[in-house]
Amino acid sequence: MDLKKVAFSPDDASNVVKECIEGIVGGVDYSQNKVNQWTASIVEHTLTQLVKQGKPFKYIVNCAVMQKSGAGLHTANSCYWDTTTDGSCTVRWENRTMYCVVSVFAVAIAL
Amino acid sequence: MDDDQSAEETAFVVDEVSSIVKESLEAVIGRNPYEQKRVNQWVSSVVEQCLGQLSKLSKPFKYIVTCIIMQKNGAGLQSASSCFWDNTTDGSCTVRWENKHLYCIVSVFGLAI
Repeated sequence: MDLKKVAFSPDDASNVVKECIEGIVGGVDYSQNKVNQWTASIVEHTLTQLVKQGKPFKYIVNCAVMQKSGAGLHTANSCYWDTTTDGSCTVRWENRTMYCVVSVFAVAIAL
Repeated sequence: MDDDQSAEETAFVVDEVSSIVKESLEAVIGRNPYEQKRVNQWVSSVVEQCLGQLSKLSKPFKYIVTCIIMQKNGAGLQSASSCFWDNTTDGSCTVRWENKHLYCIVSVFGLAI
């Protein structure tokens, strides 16, 4: 039985996130009516793709979409976990009318 | 009676976490206006302070704390989270806070060990 702990791969997760964002808000402009379903779709699709990888992790996916209008936005994360197995990855994306910041946190499950 | 107490000690209590977050926000930002030079250290201080207080609770949890601060300028901001975990033991709490000059959203996720 292989008891080696699997570590989180931020690069893999980052690619999954980028594909999801492009697929959902790729060429569109910020729309107050639709932003609600965009953020929900991004987190759901990203989560589904990550779970499909079948790795022994619990996941948290967070997405913030902000209209480009000159306002300042700052975000920070702090985590209290096992640094050898757990990890996170944050993707910043933008187009002409909006910014999108997606964070994925993966916490190892003890098998 | 012992069972109730031990359940309380190992569960994610949303109200408790919510008050920890609100206290941190009041202490770090309070009534300050949005200042581009200081907001960087504010977000860091808020998450560190929250995490410090949470770990002092000595519960068997791993924590993730995220903080977003946005200047009040008319822009729209939408945030969503999705979690793949154990519904019986894990939990989250999101606090929306504002003063006259800025909005702040803090989310705490607790995952049972």
